[in-house]
Amino acid sequence: MPQVRIIAKNFMDMVAALPAMKLDKLYDSSLICEAVLRSLPPLAKKYVLQMLFIDLPVSARTMEEWVLPDGSSKHKVAIDRLLQLRIFLEVIDRKRESSYRLNPIFQENLRKYLIHGGTLPREPMPSNVTVRLPTLEDLDAYAIEQWECFLLQLINSGQVERLTGFNPSMIKVFQRGLLSTRDNEPPKLTENGFQFLLMDTNAQLWYIIREYISSSEGHGVDPAELISFLLELSFHAPGKAYNMNTLADVQKSAISDLAALGLVKLQQGRKDNWFIPTKLATNLSMSLSDSSSRKEGFVVVETNFRLYAYSTSKLHCEILRLFARVEYQLPNLIVGAITKESLYNAFENGISGEQIIAFLQQNAHPRVAEKTPSVPENVTDQIRLWETDRNRVEMVASNLYDDFPSKEVFEAACDFGREIGGLLWEDTKKMCLIVRGESHQEMRDFLRRQK
Amino acid sequence: MGVVTVTAKFKPAVKEPGIPGMLRMTEERFTFTPTDQRSTVKLDVSFSKIKAHRFTKEGTKQALLNILHDTEKGGGYIFEFDNFSDRNVCRDFVGKVLGKFQTVPSPVQNAPELSTLVHGEQISAAELERRMKLLREDSELQKLHKQFVMSGVLTEAEFWAARKNMLDSDTYRTSKQRAGFKSAILADVRPLTDGQSNKVTFSLTREIIHQIFAEKPAVRQAFLNFVPSKMTENDFWKKYFKADFLYRAKNTLAAAAEAAEDEELAVFLKKDDIVAEESRRKIRRVDPTLDMAADAGDDYMHVMDHGILRDGSKETADTDNGLPQRTLLQDLNRHAAVVLEGRSNEVELGDTRAVAEALAKSKQVELSNQAEDEDANPDRLQRLRRMTEIEDLQGSQNLPFAALCIKDPREYFDSQHAIALKTLRETGGGTKFDNLILSAKEAYEYLVDQISEVKGGMNGPVIQSEAAIKILSGLNQHVSSTKYNLGKSPQESVLGRLPNKTKDEILDNWASIQELLQHFWSSYPITTSYLYSKVTRIKDAMTQIYRRLEEIKESVQSDVRHQVSLLIKPMLQALDAAFAHFDNEQQKRSAKSEGRHNGVAP
Amino acid sequence: MASSVSSKLYSDDVSLVVVLLDVNPFFWAGVNANSGTNQPAAALSFSKFLSHVLPFVSSILLINPLNQVVVIAAGVKSCGYIYDSGGGSDGTSVSDLRAGFLRRLEEFVERDRQLCRDGERAAATTSSLLSGSLSLALCYIQRVFRSGILHPQPRILCLQGSPDGPDQYVAVMNAIFSAQRSVVPIDSCVVGIRHSAFLQQASHITGGIYLKPQQLDALFQYLSVVFAADLQSRSFLQLPKSAGVDFRASCFCHKKPIDRGYVCSVCLSIFCKTHKKCSTCGSDFKQASADSRSKSDSKRKTLEAS
Repeated sequence: MPQVRIIAKNFMDMVAALPAMKLDKLYDSSLICEAVLRSLPPLAKKYVLQMLFIDLPVSARTMEEWVLPDGSSKHKVAIDRLLQLRIFLEVIDRKRESSYRLNPIFQENLRKYLIHGGTLPREPMPSNVTVRLPTLEDLDAYAIEQWECFLLQLINSGQVERLTGFNPSMIKVFQRGLLSTRDNEPPKLTENGFQFLLMDTNAQLWYIIREYISSSEGHGVDPAELISFLLELSFHAPGKAYNMNTLADVQKSAISDLAALGLVKLQQGRKDNWFIPTKLATNLSMSLSDSSSRKEGFVVVETNFRLYAYSTSKLHCEILRLFARVEYQLPNLIVGAITKESLYNAFENGISGEQIIAFLQQNAHPRVAEKTPSVPENVTDQIRLWETDRNRVEMVASNLYDDFPSKEVFEAACDFGREIGGLLWEDTKKMCLIVRGESHQEMRDFLRRQK
Repeated sequence: MGVVTVTAKFKPAVKEPGIPGMLRMTEERFTFTPTDQRSTVKLDVSFSKIKAHRFTKEGTKQALLNILHDTEKGGGYIFEFDNFSDRNVCRDFVGKVLGKFQTVPSPVQNAPELSTLVHGEQISAAELERRMKLLREDSELQKLHKQFVMSGVLTEAEFWAARKNMLDSDTYRTSKQRAGFKSAILADVRPLTDGQSNKVTFSLTREIIHQIFAEKPAVRQAFLNFVPSKMTENDFWKKYFKADFLYRAKNTLAAAAEAAEDEELAVFLKKDDIVAEESRRKIRRVDPTLDMAADAGDDYMHVMDHGILRDGSKETADTDNGLPQRTLLQDLNRHAAVVLEGRSNEVELGDTRAVAEALAKSKQVELSNQAEDEDANPDRLQRLRRMTEIEDLQGSQNLPFAALCIKDPREYFDSQHAIALKTLRETGGGTKFDNLILSAKEAYEYLVDQISEVKGGMNGPVIQSEAAIKILSGLNQHVSSTKYNLGKSPQESVLGRLPNKTKDEILDNWASIQELLQHFWSSYPITTSYLYSKVTRIKDAMTQIYRRLEEIKESVQSDVRHQVSLLIKPMLQALDAAFAHFDNEQQKRSAKSEGRHNGVAP
Repeated sequence: MASSVSSKLYSDDVSLVVVLLDVNPFFWAGVNANSGTNQPAAALSFSKFLSHVLPFVSSILLINPLNQVVVIAAGVKSCGYIYDSGGGSDGTSVSDLRAGFLRRLEEFVERDRQLCRDGERAAATTSSLLSGSLSLALCYIQRVFRSGILHPQPRILCLQGSPDGPDQYVAVMNAIFSAQRSVVPIDSCVVGIRHSAFLQQASHITGGIYLKPQQLDALFQYLSVVFAADLQSRSFLQLPKSAGVDFRASCFCHKKPIDRGYVCSVCLSIFCKTHKKCSTCGSDFKQASADSRSKSDSKRKTLEAS
């Protein structure tokens, strides 16, 4: 698995990275075919549909004719994605031209699905079992609370009131890359961590799930199994209870972790134990494409650097606290100010001004988001100015050369330094010059040649 | 009647600035004496020579009065006045005098605009400018203009008459505006004292009466009650102004005494109940979220050294006696409210009683409307709810919409061709289907059977792979072929495949035919000889184009000849229809005139 | 989150597809009686038709779970909602869809049948209520616009077989213009024998796609290739362009499409013959002959273009 890289929607990359065998095996389940189809770019979805009943390969050139000239880049992205996920299989014909056909397993499953419908591996709790189930609203609230609690714990906030049932070592794994852990210092949020907090819930979820899967891979769990379970989970009806006994061992061990994240709620019955998928779980397969998962903004920034956030979330408050001075917290409103001190704090922590501005812009309240600019220009400019204030001194690794035998040699060295773009400073009187560190080798070679 | 003397400018022509001077009108004649003694322009004209007069509408730029020798030929005296009221006085005077002179009075109302009265076809510079601009901006229009107007097939006026909507988007807006109330407050009706006797004079005009009625409903009501049953109109106004005078003089004791004696006079001094009721109702309709109690204390009248100077003396609140005092602010507000309400349409400045009644009636209607409003309580509640939300955090309620528009007319042109092809292709199929008559019972039963068949489950693949691939490639080919055959944009259309020259020619002719046909059909029925000559002109032009079209058809290469003839066909058809109509009408005409000559008609 | 804020989210790739299904018993029974004689590929039984449409509806729901599909049936006597994926009661899974869809369709046919008189006979060319179903669709779309946070991209797909009903001309045109105004494209797929001038105009004016498949036994393929893509993707795709739309208007008196006609100068009603009085608005034209002094305004309609 690659190292921690924060890219919002790359869960499918992970699926795509599975070996072909395992990928094909995944497609045995029509639900997974469905989930994978949903994750595709719109154009790719359409291609799958129109190839659904075609058993023969279609040449790549024909496919290019499907789009207008404007759409050729989108077309390429779509085709690449389909190939990566082995939904399209490439066939080279005799004329050495490539053509594509749909993965037969995938195709067969989707056809079946469209005509006969898919079936879940387990049935929801029959209505004759009398267990009081939470309402959908309660469930949503539970999921959001659980998730937020987890995030607060993740960033080691002092605001955490209670711990999720997560294994602390697991939390450590998640924190890797998000928090910087220097000795003797409380861990601080890194740039990546900040970015992570700024992502929408689904993207965060996928990031955590990814980490979770790759770490359990270390414990000898087959990632394909976990992936298929998670994708399956997303097709369960939210609010319906499912029997735990239907789960395989791997799934059983995973489900308690998922409950800690708020993906499912566990409920004990008299005889059996049940799990109830929440909206977080059902959304898993839903919004891997960008636009549908957009969240509503909540921040209003005024030209006087005051900041109003219409939010009840502690997490939002924590994020704002990273770069602004929070002044009041009302039940549904956080009032703060962006000050030089608060920003310096943020810069110290490695958060860049651009990130802060992007956060303010992306989370602008819909009513200010309509305006351009959504964040007042004087505020954004000032943030940038304060940031550059700190960076008045720029460190460049470099080498000092002196003791030149003659003026000619010195001047030749100066010219050469200028030529290769490494000359930083020169003093003709003292006959010394400073050249960038990376040009040192060339400089040395040049001076050798002069001798 | 009598004599009217006003300052005015005499204008030898509309466009000239005019010579300032005095216009004096008597019942026999009118004279004009310029202010500049040296000026030679002096008028002394008898009204007996005058046939008519014209004037500009109120609200237009200049207050003009044109006294005409002759209605048809024009030629008269144009006077410009400083304001409309002066002009109206003169206009009414002239109207009366002319009415006396002529047994048939000339029409006074709604005289045509100045531009048409001078010449049959004179257009203002602004109009001309607009036309030029349109021509500059639209090359196709310019081409048409050149082709028909320059060559004399159509006159300039005819050409533009068909395009009125392009020209006056902004002109008609100004003319439709109605004059509202004067914004000058009524306090301007000042008593005039001659300084010698103890007499005060108030001058009343219709305008002022109207304003009094509008601003003081109590007076209006009193007028309706008293006049003419109890007193004459003159007495009424005397009483009114007496009360007003007392009121102004701030002689509250005297006023109280008078009121005690004369109950009719007391009416004018009492508080105006109708206004009070109205304001109460208005308060009830104020935005429920507005805290009106909050500024109830903002009354500085009772504080020393506060107040407003009115008529030279400071207003003080003096509420000892029973007679209410109106403050300046109240007067101002009332006046403003009346001005904003505007003048209702029905009320014309005529008979005083009629004015009073009309005003009372319009108020009544308003009242009943408001009563309905108040019944709409849920609406109010809704509003209350909306207002309590923070409004700047609300999204706009607007839904996306697109403006309706007429697209490129060329598409119609393309479609003609396609339809022709299609009808060719389609004939033959489904004739049997057309003649099928089915019973409703069987038909519905069939449908139910089919549905239950589907219910039983679908088996096998929905489509065979071969069919699917055939369709996919078929659609692709179709798409790429339509790109070259019958696409949407003009470059991709049938026209696109024709040689450029032919294409341009066809399009030009098409535009010309459209223009000519429009004029042709709009001239029917022919009622004047002018229209007749116009139709004949147009018909000749169309005949030429007809010939040209035939030539185009002949001249093109054989491989596109079929296409071209398909394109030209509808044009020729349209022309044929016009010719047929023309011939038909021609025949009818000659038959009729023959009939008349033969003396069949009595 | 301030959930009270009622600002809408506009999503590019979430669609609301309103499918207008032609459930005209005379047409379908007529096709059945006619099939086998000529053009076997052009004939489609109603059950076959449904077996193509149902997977298409599921596939729209499949590609984006936020997509919403509403099916409206247009019968001879009535129109009605058949299926609504956002309705809650019907699940979105394929088997739920099928069961709910077919049950409601049966109910609809039953209701429509009851409106028919006993022993009534009608031609196979009887038209179904296109105008009614279009209006229902537009009303539904307006309701969606005005409620909820998510703002899907709406479009209407007409699956029509029976011929145009000339008596519906005015109503259909009104529906088309209101669709254009609220930026709702009307796609049309004609499964009948003839082209539909109404739908050609509808698709042309609203910027939708008009298609008359040649091979009806593979209808699903047409539907998935042409009509499955969301509006956003359409801007990148090569899709069939309408070639040659029949722009002709129908006259109000005989409901026949005409090339040239007379237009009432007051209400713009179209007639194929001169009338003394406009039958729509009652304006009196007097006699439009040469000797008449009246300002008759019956103008010849030339090369009308839209």
